[in-house]
Amino acid sequence: MKNYRGAVLLMVPGIGIVLAFLVLPLANVVEESFRLFEPGRIGAAKDAPYTLFNYAELLNTNYLYYFVETARIGLIASITGLILGFPIAYFITRRLRAIWRKIAIGFLVGIMFISTLIRVYALQLTFGPTGIAKILSGLLGVSMNGRFYTELIVIFGLLHYLVPIAAITLLGTIQNINPRLSEAAQALGASRWMAHLSITVPLCIPGLLSAFLISFTLCLSAFVVPMILGKGKILFVSNLIYARFSEISNYPSGSAISIIMLVLSLAIIYGVTYVVSKRLVKY
Amino acid sequence: MNALNRQIDNLGLWLVWLIIAVTLVFLIAPIVVSILMSFDARSYLGRFPPTEFSFHWYERFFSDTYYLNGLKTSLIIAVIAAAVSTFAGVSAAIVLDRYDFPGKQAIETVFLSPLVIPAVVVGFALLLFFALIGVFQGYPRLLAGHIIITFPYTVRTTLAGLTGIRRNLTEAAMTLGANEWQAFWDVTFPLARTGMIAGAVFAFAFSMDDVAVSLFLTSPDTYTLPVAMVSMMRTNFDLTIAAASVILMLFTIVLIVVLDWIIGLERVIGGGVYRS
Repeated sequence: MKNYRGAVLLMVPGIGIVLAFLVLPLANVVEESFRLFEPGRIGAAKDAPYTLFNYAELLNTNYLYYFVETARIGLIASITGLILGFPIAYFITRRLRAIWRKIAIGFLVGIMFISTLIRVYALQLTFGPTGIAKILSGLLGVSMNGRFYTELIVIFGLLHYLVPIAAITLLGTIQNINPRLSEAAQALGASRWMAHLSITVPLCIPGLLSAFLISFTLCLSAFVVPMILGKGKILFVSNLIYARFSEISNYPSGSAISIIMLVLSLAIIYGVTYVVSKRLVKY
Repeated sequence: MNALNRQIDNLGLWLVWLIIAVTLVFLIAPIVVSILMSFDARSYLGRFPPTEFSFHWYERFFSDTYYLNGLKTSLIIAVIAAAVSTFAGVSAAIVLDRYDFPGKQAIETVFLSPLVIPAVVVGFALLLFFALIGVFQGYPRLLAGHIIITFPYTVRTTLAGLTGIRRNLTEAAMTLGANEWQAFWDVTFPLARTGMIAGAVFAFAFSMDDVAVSLFLTSPDTYTLPVAMVSMMRTNFDLTIAAASVILMLFTIVLIVVLDWIIGLERVIGGGVYRS
C-alpha cells in the first residue's frame, strides 16, 4: 500500500545535507586531529605522520585551565540563572491573570530571541566604561579593568539569555504541580516559605535538572559572549578553537580540541537526559 | 511560633520580590540603553545618557557600504538557507512521521544533532572540509554552514506539527477515493502547514543571527552582517553598531509577531526548542 520508493526519495535531501555538511566534515576533523603539525604551515601536510601529540598536549595544565575555566564560569552562570529564573516562572504561573501571563511570556520569548550580538553590545554599553562600570566596580571595590570585573560582565552576558530560557523551561514544570499540595502543608502548620522549600521545589527537580542541563550546555558552547565581553582576559574552549584557526592555523590542534569539546557536550547532554528520564519514570 | 513563621514568610516574600525586580531591570535596562544610545546626537561614543538626539548613526549605517554589503549577504544567505532547510526538513519529517523502518530513531537523532553540537565545532569542521575539497568562495561555504545549523529546526517543528494530525484523517480521505498524494496535499499538508512555516521562520531567524559558524566561513568580500558587526566592535568605537542593533531588533520583533500570529507563543514554548 505504502509507497516506499517515494519515502526514500523524500529522505535524500536531508541525508545528503547531513552527510555532506556534518558527517564527512566531522570525520575529516577526527582524521586531522591525529596528524602531526609543523609550525608555520597552514594545517597539517597531506602526508603528515599520525600522532597522539595533539591530544596529549591538552593534558598540559595550560590547556586544562581553559576547560576548567569554561566549566567553572558556566556552572556559576547556570546556577544563578536557575535561582533568578525560578521565582519569575513561579510568579508568572501562579500570580498573573491570563492576559498578563501572555504578555509576560511574550516578553521572555522576546528577550530570548534577541540576537546574541545585540545583547552583548547592549551589555557592553551598559556595564562598560561609557556606562556604569565606574560606579559598579567602585561599589564592589575592584578595578574596572581587572579580571574580576571582566568575569562578572561575562557572567552577566550569559545570564541575559539563561534567565529567560530557565524561566520558560520551568513554566511548564510549575504549571504541572498541584497548588493544593503546598496549601495542605500550610494547613498542617508549615510556613509558606517552608511549604515552598519542602513541597514545591522538590517536585520541580526534574524541571530544574533539565533547565540546568540546557543552561550549562549553552554556556559550554558560548562563543560570542566571552569573545566580546571577555576582552581577551576570559577565554572559553570555543575561543581557543577559533584562535587555533585565526592566529596560528594549527588545524590539527584545533581539531583535537573540537573533538574533546564535542564528546564532552554530547556526554553531558545524553548523560543528564538519561538521568532525568530515569527519575521521571520513578516518580 | 506562628508570629515567627509569618515574619519569615514576609521576609521571604520581600526577598523574592526584590530578586524578580532586579532581574527584570537587568534584562530590560541594557536594551533600553542601547536603543537610546543609537539616537545619540554626539559624534563620538560618549557616556550614557545622551543629552541630545538625532538620526545620524542611522544615516551612517545606511551610507556605509561595509554594513550594507553584510546586510545584503545576510538576507540572501538567510532566505536561501531557510528555503533549502525547509524543503529538506519537511520532506524528511514526513517520512519520519509516516513510516516505520529500522534505524529510524538513529536517523532522527542524527538529523537533530546540529542542535547540540557546539556551533564553533560545526564552523571549524566545515572550514577544514572546504579547504580539503578546494572550495574557498564565501557564498557556498556560508550557505552550507547556515543550511546545516537551520535544518534541525525545520525537521523538529514540522515533526511537531505532523504528530498532532490524526492518521485516520488521511485514511478517511483515501477511503473516499483519494490517492496517497491527494490525501497528503488536500488533508495532511494544510494541517501541518503551521509547523512548516514556523520552521522556516526559525531557520531564517537563526541564520540572520549566527556568528560562530559564519566567522570561519566568510571570505574577504563575502561576509554576513553579524560578522561585520563583530569586526567593527573590535576595532571601532562608534555607535553605528547600536543603530545596526536596533535595526536587527526590529527584525526580531516582526518575527515574534509573525510567530505569534501563525502558531501562538504558548505553542512555541510548549513545543520547546530544546525538548525532544
